[in-house]
Amino acid sequence: MSDRPILIVDDDAFVRTLLRDMLAGHGYELREAENGREALALPGPPPRVVLLDLLMPQMSGMEALGLIRDRWPETPVLVISSMDSDRLVQEALEAGATGYITKPFHPVEIASAVERALAL
Amino acid sequence: MPEYWIGDADGRVLGPVSLDVVQDLVNTGRLTQITRASVDGRNWGVPASFPEVMALLLNAPSAESLLESERQEAGRVREQLRGMQDRPPHEIFRLERNASVDAYRNAFFKLVKRFYPDRVRAQAHPELRKAYSDAFQFLSRLMVHIERDLSAGVPVSPLPVVRVVPPPPPLEDEPLAPVPTPAQPARPLTVVPRTRTPAPRPGPIATPPAEGTYSYQPHEFVGFVRRDDRVEVTIKVTARNSGMFTEHPLANLKSDGFYLACPKSLPLGTLVDVIFRFDDDRREVRSRGRVIVENTGGDPARPHGFGVRFITLVEQDRRFMQQFVERTTAR
Repeated sequence: MSDRPILIVDDDAFVRTLLRDMLAGHGYELREAENGREALALPGPPPRVVLLDLLMPQMSGMEALGLIRDRWPETPVLVISSMDSDRLVQEALEAGATGYITKPFHPVEIASAVERALAL
Repeated sequence: MPEYWIGDADGRVLGPVSLDVVQDLVNTGRLTQITRASVDGRNWGVPASFPEVMALLLNAPSAESLLESERQEAGRVREQLRGMQDRPPHEIFRLERNASVDAYRNAFFKLVKRFYPDRVRAQAHPELRKAYSDAFQFLSRLMVHIERDLSAGVPVSPLPVVRVVPPPPPLEDEPLAPVPTPAQPARPLTVVPRTRTPAPRPGPIATPPAEGTYSYQPHEFVGFVRRDDRVEVTIKVTARNSGMFTEHPLANLKSDGFYLACPKSLPLGTLVDVIFRFDDDRREVRSRGRVIVENTGGDPARPHGFGVRFITLVEQDRRFMQQFVERTTAR
């Protein structure tokens, strides 16, 4: 198992807990950040996958997405957001998101999206 | 195309996004509180400084027109549901007949979330709420059925809908020989196929059920909070009130919950963010749950209050709380 983590970026501690619990059982190394700025400041190797919220304080998810793509170009980024506008999905994908999952999410959906992202 | 950054009352930022996205989110009620806006993400102003953003807010649908459009949407959902009930599963999900279980799941998640009950606003038209719920239930049952077929290695079959003619009541002096069934209208009955696994109980997901044991019911979908109906409760926990974790037969720590005795109850289903403060241990535990029991006097044997079942509770916190209870009851 790679020691490169899966990085969860969401300002809502409950959502981070939910995602962490869903993924912990799959044996992944997990890290968390409250916002994009904190995520980008994390030391260590690039994450294997980033799960990224869009609506966050300090730095928006879209801005974080661009910076994450610049810093870790090989790392897939899965956007997770309660904003389910088709146009927003399209703009997020155009900005470099690998996938877009709308809240609420299901454990099977998260596990399967992460597996697909890891297989890229 | 100009791009915008939008800030909400909680200090969160969305952007850069096009004005079309902002319009979509405002019109669908996803974005209701814009407190500031920017065109570069650095220089911010009140919405009134951006006439094009302000126009979207001012032109947001009125409560009356929202209700009317929700009533119409309910009709469309009902029609869509009728259409789905008559089609084979792969057509409902727009897949090839021999699609894999992963393909079915992906398509299911994309489709079913549109009907997630909490997505409708608190004051939504009741017909829309019911239509969404029916569509969600149908798709959830269908997904369980599909997984069962595929795991058994058989082609995916439609969800059985059995029309049953109730047998006639026995008549006195009825001859033993078979007789024609008396003419009476058939009562359609939808039979839900039995799944191999019981529906999971709501609770912490720290130990998720094994794959294939999901019911795909709304309670398994998490991470979405309709911010207009969430209640935050802070509870100072001491040895004197630790009975909240043990005394109620339904809402207790062993059943992933607690019962809070207080003069004012919360309605069933209310989403509650709970902060337990264990001052003696200098520890704070945060959790989220739903009200599953309320007592406004109907149960005279118990104090007024409400019981919550946790949706999320970190395993480490649960162990701490369990140890706290054991420690205080041993005194």
